[in-house]
Amino acid sequence: MKIRLLALLVALGLGLGLAQQSNLKACFIYVGPIGDVGWTYAHDEGRRAAEKAIPGLTTQYVESVKPADTLATVDRLVAGGCNVIFTTSFDFMDQTLEAAKKYPNVIFAHASGFKRAPNMLTYMADFYQIYYLNGLMAGALTKSGKVGYVAAFPIPELKRHISAFALGVRAVNPRATVNVKWINAWYSPVKAREATEALIAEGNDIVAFTEDTATVIQTAARRRVPSFSHYNSMYKYAPDYVVSGQLVDWSVIYIDILKKVQNGTYTPKNLENVDYWWLARERAVMLGAQVGMPINPKFEPALKQATMVVNGKRMSVYDRVMELYRDIQSPNPKWDPFTGPIRDRNGVLRVPAGRRMTVKELNEMQWVAPGVVGPVPDEPK
Amino acid sequence: MEEVLNALARALSFGTPLLIACLGALLNERAGVVNLGVEGMMALGALASFAVAYGEAGDGNLWLAVLAAILAGGLSALLHGFVTITLQANQFVSGLALSMVGLGIAGLLGKRYEGLPLFDHPSEEPFILGAMGLALLLAFLFGATRLGLSLRSVGENPAAADLLGINVLALRYGAVVAGGALAGLAGAYLSLVYRPSWTDGMTAGLGWIAVALVIFVGWNPLRAIFGAVFFGLLYYLQFRLQGQSGIPSEVFASLPYLLVILVLALSGLRGQQGNAPEALGKPYRRGER
Repeated sequence: MKIRLLALLVALGLGLGLAQQSNLKACFIYVGPIGDVGWTYAHDEGRRAAEKAIPGLTTQYVESVKPADTLATVDRLVAGGCNVIFTTSFDFMDQTLEAAKKYPNVIFAHASGFKRAPNMLTYMADFYQIYYLNGLMAGALTKSGKVGYVAAFPIPELKRHISAFALGVRAVNPRATVNVKWINAWYSPVKAREATEALIAEGNDIVAFTEDTATVIQTAARRRVPSFSHYNSMYKYAPDYVVSGQLVDWSVIYIDILKKVQNGTYTPKNLENVDYWWLARERAVMLGAQVGMPINPKFEPALKQATMVVNGKRMSVYDRVMELYRDIQSPNPKWDPFTGPIRDRNGVLRVPAGRRMTVKELNEMQWVAPGVVGPVPDEPK
Repeated sequence: MEEVLNALARALSFGTPLLIACLGALLNERAGVVNLGVEGMMALGALASFAVAYGEAGDGNLWLAVLAAILAGGLSALLHGFVTITLQANQFVSGLALSMVGLGIAGLLGKRYEGLPLFDHPSEEPFILGAMGLALLLAFLFGATRLGLSLRSVGENPAAADLLGINVLALRYGAVVAGGALAGLAGAYLSLVYRPSWTDGMTAGLGWIAVALVIFVGWNPLRAIFGAVFFGLLYYLQFRLQGQSGIPSEVFASLPYLLVILVLALSGLRGQQGNAPEALGKPYRRGER
C-alpha cells in the first residue's frame, strides 16, 4: 500500500515536471526602464510580440538591473520557474556566463556579447548596412558638406556604425565630413541637446545619433535641421524633419530562439556555437523614419534629384538607396558596405580589395573610416 | 561674433533651470534650512507639469502645467519642512531622502508619459527673463526690506530673532516651501521648454549642480545670475570645444565642481564659511543654545 502511494506520488511528480517542461517561461533582464524609448523599449516590444506569437509561452521581465546585480536577478528568476533567460545588455556578459555555469539546465541568451557556453547563446540585430543607406541620404541632403553625429561611447559598435554612415556620406559627396561629438552616456537628454546645439553651431546641417531618447531629433527640428530616427520610430517627434533612420525588430530573433527551444532544436547542451548576427535579410533591422516608411515622402524629391556615380553609371541617390535596401533584404545579399579596398582615416589599408569584413572583425573594429572628424579614443595609428 | 552670441544663448538656455533652482535653494538656506532634495523636487515638478500639459493628447493648459510644477515642488518641500523644522530631524538626511524619493515617485508615476512628444510648448524667453527678474527681486528682498532682514536673521541667529518677536518657524516654513516651489518650476522648464518631453531620470543631476551653485555664488542672488550663466557656458563648451581645443571635454564637465571646491577652500583659508548663514543646517529649539 505504502509502495503504491509512493509510486503514485512519483508519477504525479514526474507528470508535473513534464507539464512544466512543455510550459515555456522566458524571462528578460533589462538594463534600463522599458519606457526609455530606446534600447530597452525595443527589447520589450520584442518580448510582447513573442508572447503573442508563441502559444504556451509566458514571459516575465525585470527592468533597470545594474550589471553587478545580474546573477542575483537570475537567481530570483530561476527560482520563479524561468527556463530561458535573456540578458539584454553588453555589460551583463560575464555574470550571464557565471549564471550559465551555475544553472546548467537553464538556457541563457545574451545580447551583443561574444562569450558563449553549452547553455548560453549570443544574439545581435545590427544596423551597419542601414547606416550606410542613411549616410547616402545625409550626403545628398547636406548643403554645407558637414554632417553631425551625436555619439554615445567610443566602442566598436559605434565606430562600425559611424564608419558605415561616413562611407555612405562620402559615396555621394566625397568631400563631406561626419563630425562626431561623444556624450559618454547611453541616456542623457541634456548632453544630447547641448551636443546637437554645438554641432549645428559648427555648421552641420543634418544630424544622426546614438542615444536613447528623441532629444537630438527634437533639438534639430527646432533649428530646422533634418535628422534620422534611431532604434524606434521617431517620425512622430518631427514629421517635417526626420528623413529616415535605423529601426530594430527584436521579436524575429526572440520568436526564432523560443520556437527552437520549444521544439527541442535548442537544448542546454548545444548552444556553444549559436550566434545570431541578424541584419535586414532576417528583418531584424529596417530602414525607416518609422515602421513602414523607409524614406519620409517630404525628402523624396530632393533625393531623386541628387545623383551619384555607381560603377561608372550615374543614378539618383533615391534609386541607389532603394536598390541596396532590396539587396540586403534578399536571401543572398550581394553587397556589403565593408567590402575592400577600405582605408581608415589615417590612410592605413584595413580591408584589402575584394574582401569583406568578418563578423568578428566588425565586432572588434577600433579604426574609423575617412571623413570622420573628431577625437576617436583607442584608434590605432 | 555669431559664435559668441550663440554660446551665450546656450548658456542662458541651460543656465535658466540652474538659476531658478539655485535661487530656491538659496532662499531656504538664507533662512537657515538646507534642502538637498532639489533634484527630487525638480523631477516631481517636471513630471507634474508635463502630465498637466500633455493632458489626454497633448492638449493641456500650459500655464496650469507650470502651476502644477510649483505646487508639486512646494508640497514636497513642505514635507521636508515638517520633518526638519517641526520634528527637528537632521536636514541633510531628510533632504537626501527627499531627493531619492522624489526621483523614485516621479519615475513610477511617469510611466504613462514616458517619451511622449509635446508639440505645443512655451518658449524659453519668459523663463529666462523671469529667472533674472526673480534674482533681482530676491536681492531687493534681502537687501532692502524688513521681511528680508527677518529672513536673514532667522538664518544667522534664530534665538536673537525670536527674542525680537520674529516668528522663526513660520519664516523657515515659508522659505522652505518657496524654495521647493522654485525647484519644481525649474523642473517644469526642463520638461516643457528645454526638451520638451518627460523621461525617467531626465533631471540628470542638475539639481545637484544647483545646490553646488549656491555655495559657489556665496548665497548672493545677483551673483547667482552670473554663476548660472557661467556653469551653463561650461556645460555647452564641453561639446562645442570637443576635439578643437586640445583640452579633454571631461575638464569642462568637471570644472563647475572643481570651482565649488576651490571657492570653499579659499573661504576656508580666509577663516569664513564662504558667507554661509551662521545657523545653516541647525534646527531651532526655543531656549537652547
